Amino acid sequence: MKDKLLFGAGLMAALYLVRNLYVILVDLPDEAQQGAIYRIFFFHLPPYFTAVVMFLGALIASIQYLRTKDFKYDCFAVSAIEVGLAFAAMNLVTGSIWGRQQWGIWWTWDARLTSALITWLIYAGYLMLRQAIPEPTQRAKNAAVLAIFAFTAVYFTYKANEWYRTQHPGPVLTFRTGKETIDRSMQNMLFHNTGAFLLLASVMVAHRMRLERNQREVESLRRFVHAH
Amino acid sequence: MDQRNFEFMFYGFAAAWIILAGYVLLLVSRGQKIQKEIETLKRMMEDRGSK
Amino acid sequence: MMLFLRQAWTIAAKDLRSELRTKESLNAAFAFAVTILLLFSFAVDVDPDRIKEISGGLLWMVFAFAGALIFNRAFARDLANDCLDALLASPIPGAALFLGKTIASFTLVLAIEMLCYPVFGLLYNISWANHFWTLAGVTVLATWAMAVIGTMFSTLCVNLSLREIMLPLLVYPVLIPALMGAMLLTTQLISGQPISSDNQIWLRVLAAFDIIFTSLALLLVETVLVG
Repeated sequence: MKDKLLFGAGLMAALYLVRNLYVILVDLPDEAQQGAIYRIFFFHLPPYFTAVVMFLGALIASIQYLRTKDFKYDCFAVSAIEVGLAFAAMNLVTGSIWGRQQWGIWWTWDARLTSALITWLIYAGYLMLRQAIPEPTQRAKNAAVLAIFAFTAVYFTYKANEWYRTQHPGPVLTFRTGKETIDRSMQNMLFHNTGAFLLLASVMVAHRMRLERNQREVESLRRFVHAH
Repeated sequence: MDQRNFEFMFYGFAAAWIILAGYVLLLVSRGQKIQKEIETLKRMMEDRGSK
Repeated sequence: MMLFLRQAWTIAAKDLRSELRTKESLNAAFAFAVTILLLFSFAVDVDPDRIKEISGGLLWMVFAFAGALIFNRAFARDLANDCLDALLASPIPGAALFLGKTIASFTLVLAIEMLCYPVFGLLYNISWANHFWTLAGVTVLATWAMAVIGTMFSTLCVNLSLREIMLPLLVYPVLIPALMGAMLLTTQLISGQPISSDNQIWLRVLAAFDIIFTSLALLLVETVLVG
């Protein structure tokens, strides 16, 4: 039953993405200066929001794990962080390509880009820490503490545009600037794509959680088989 | 659609989709590895049981 | 509160005393720092103006690498003979244990840094002490940041066999904002100028970093150590 639900959700996410792709490429108006390249924006900002939601979910799960010691929270945390890393990578790479075209540089060390990269590195370190600890309880505990520390980087990345003058463009969405700085249809498309990616991310997290549970089952089975 | 800078837009889209697809493939391959390990362990347990 | 501080100070004094008796990691870290400074003088043209531009970056990279050697030892020192278990079983709270070890590591790294500054001035022919007290202030803030993060993550890595690799891998990304601030401010101070109004924000970044991560660490360390 759960399998069917997951498959259905995945299918819906795929269809939603395809519909969004059509709208992005065909329906949306052109941007005044940038030409076609601005449409990358729809694969740059929604992955960032998705990644932030994933990391926030992992933070909450980590805190819950430390309070209840229930492994399902640990399972969710590692899955959410892995999926979040994939979307954060999308964010970094599309941003770099856009920057190459717009400003002629693949990268610059301003506050926004640097903190985004640091966030990615810290969460990659989380995965590496997990790999280095074989014992499940200690692994879950230490990883949970690291996830709590790591979220400060996410918050810093979000605020970096406000606090510093950066090469990266400042906020454009209405809920941050308070006024109409971006065309309505584009903003709606951004939210649509964020929704699609969030749906896709949920399906991926569910799959990854199943993998994690299986992996733990396999480990305990292996111990059992070798002990007898 | 305005055709300026179309090439870079294509690269950007390609990069985004390749990263997503790559991660999905990673999940699938890990799933298959675990399946294989489960089969191996099941066989080992049956061997032990029949002995 | 006073009891807490006294407990932390007892731990700090114990760590400092044991380190000063053997001086193993202190000597190693200081030798490492001086070696890098020396090697770097061969790597680039020793033109004082150019060195002044990169002084902050060079110095803080040296301090970060030498610091990693010290922070690794913070909890690893107590692994032998179950000393860590004995400490955890004692009636002092985990936060006091953590604070004591942080203070000890902080003092050691600060000592190394204060020795490295004159060495740097000698090797590269730069008068570095024009704004000595401001420089000391910046050094203290940034070193405390390193000590808190280094000691905290050392508790996460204490039982790992790959401890020496995992600790720098985890610590440096988190430290980057503090290190960036320290590098920028140090470069400006060593070049002989006081901190410009543009760079004042970095002082605030360093202070905020210290406060936030110290509080977070004190809250969470008991969970990591004891579970």
